[in-house]
Amino acid sequence: MTRLVKAELLKVFTTRMVWGMLALSLGFTLISLAALSILSGQEGVPSITESAGAIALFSSAASGLVFAFIIGTLVMTGEYRFQTITHTFLITPRRERVVAAKLAACAVVGAIFGVAGMLLSAVVAVPAILIKGGSLSVIDGDIARVGVGVIAAMALYTILGLAMGSLLGNQIAAMVVGIGWIYVLENLLVVLLPSVGRWLPGGAAQAVFGVAPPIGGTPYLPAWGGALLLAGYALVFAVVASTTTIRRDIT
Amino acid sequence: MTAIEISQLTKTFGTVRAVDGVSFTVEAGTITGFLGPNGAGKTTTLRCLLGLVAADSGTALINGQSYAHLGSPISAVGAVLEATSFHPGRTARNHLRVLCVSAGLPESRADEALEQVGLADAAGQRVGGFSLGMRQRLALAGALVGKPKVYILDEPSNGLDPAGIQWLRGFLRYLAEETGAAVLVSSHVLAEVQQTVDHVVIIAKGKLVHQGRLADLTVNGSTPVRVVAREADRLGPALERAGGKVDPAPAPENAAAESAAGVLTVRGMTPEAIGQVALDERVVLSELVRERSGLEQIFLELTA
Repeated sequence: MTRLVKAELLKVFTTRMVWGMLALSLGFTLISLAALSILSGQEGVPSITESAGAIALFSSAASGLVFAFIIGTLVMTGEYRFQTITHTFLITPRRERVVAAKLAACAVVGAIFGVAGMLLSAVVAVPAILIKGGSLSVIDGDIARVGVGVIAAMALYTILGLAMGSLLGNQIAAMVVGIGWIYVLENLLVVLLPSVGRWLPGGAAQAVFGVAPPIGGTPYLPAWGGALLLAGYALVFAVVASTTTIRRDIT
Repeated sequence: MTAIEISQLTKTFGTVRAVDGVSFTVEAGTITGFLGPNGAGKTTTLRCLLGLVAADSGTALINGQSYAHLGSPISAVGAVLEATSFHPGRTARNHLRVLCVSAGLPESRADEALEQVGLADAAGQRVGGFSLGMRQRLALAGALVGKPKVYILDEPSNGLDPAGIQWLRGFLRYLAEETGAAVLVSSHVLAEVQQTVDHVVIIAKGKLVHQGRLADLTVNGSTPVRVVAREADRLGPALERAGGKVDPAPAPENAAAESAAGVLTVRGMTPEAIGQVALDERVVLSELVRERSGLEQIFLELTA
């Protein structure tokens, strides 16, 4: 099994797409960091010298969730598009093992995106908070949870991408559906229908970060509830990914 | 030893019965040509054999096992399925490294296989820039990494230039004769594999129409022989009495001149047997020749 995971990671890191996606993810994080630092304390934006603002600032590390999702879709649809799935199943005819290896590899890739995002956040957020005259002690109690949340969310969205890719098989379709969900539907539901939105992957991720809900909105789940919910989603996506992949004829 | 054994294999896609009760075997140390027109079911049969497509019924075994039950499939079977199945952004070496790592083979096998197929110089290049011929060689290298004893190749000469085809023939011969491997190679053009294969399996419209030695296909008497004799009207019935099947030749453009000379197309007899009958009948032959396109003609008739 270890060698299959290693092979899946080798597949990801021997293409250039992964570096492009990582760069875009970090770019989005940087934009979010800059916006929150510059607008800090202005109307509707919490001050980064206070706990809530600092949490939101560090949570910028998860701004590029969509790019983790795209890498996840590519792990499966890239194999269909370029028919390398043939090689993969010839070497490992027990397809559930391939899916398990891909799930593990996606979790690793997503975690790498999360760690990279957190490092970038730290590099920008720490001087930003100090320049604004704040103290790093405001984040002391929360930084570990935000970090774990970001890494878990990145890993989950990569797995979500894998599941979507497995379900649809087509790269463009998987990306369109996924981006539509992340940027449009989920955002709308989390803001407009928070009683539903808090139960979605996006809402669960917000709960783990400990980000304050929109003013007047329904509070997110407690952090442990969000974590549990994310794990549940990962499980469902894993089942979707394996059942769709195991049954498909490779013609 | 039987390396590949396919028995009553059937697969339906929607309403199309792609493979319909096909059975055949491939022995170790031989090259078997798997022939049929486009859409005959060759690729589906091979993909069922390789566990990529689930058969509706029947069995397809390699070394007595279904593909999924082979311990280390890539070390048992080398498959070359289509020349396009590479990620264009990955280098040739990295493509093979992925195969080696997944199969638990040493990564050094990647460079060795590239050397074997003559791609060592292109190891570090991205596959996106490869010609079709280079892709075929890379696909073959992928089949070689596990040093298997069974090779399954689907239309491997597609896209190869004449030099490449000649190289491939030599390579397949080497695999069968020097390493004792069983080689099953599909093609829709008989002439392409005619010089390489020992056995042929011919399918058409999903059904098996012929299995046997290539030599038998050639001399089983159904190769038409063209006979020209002035007294064709006397020779024809004599040949039929001797067991031949005689057709007046298809009317050529200069029909008058030809019929005067008396052209017959004889099946079921060798040229030697026809000559003997002509001698016995004291008929003068002006031409006695195997139809040059005989094998191709049989193939077309079998698969029509």
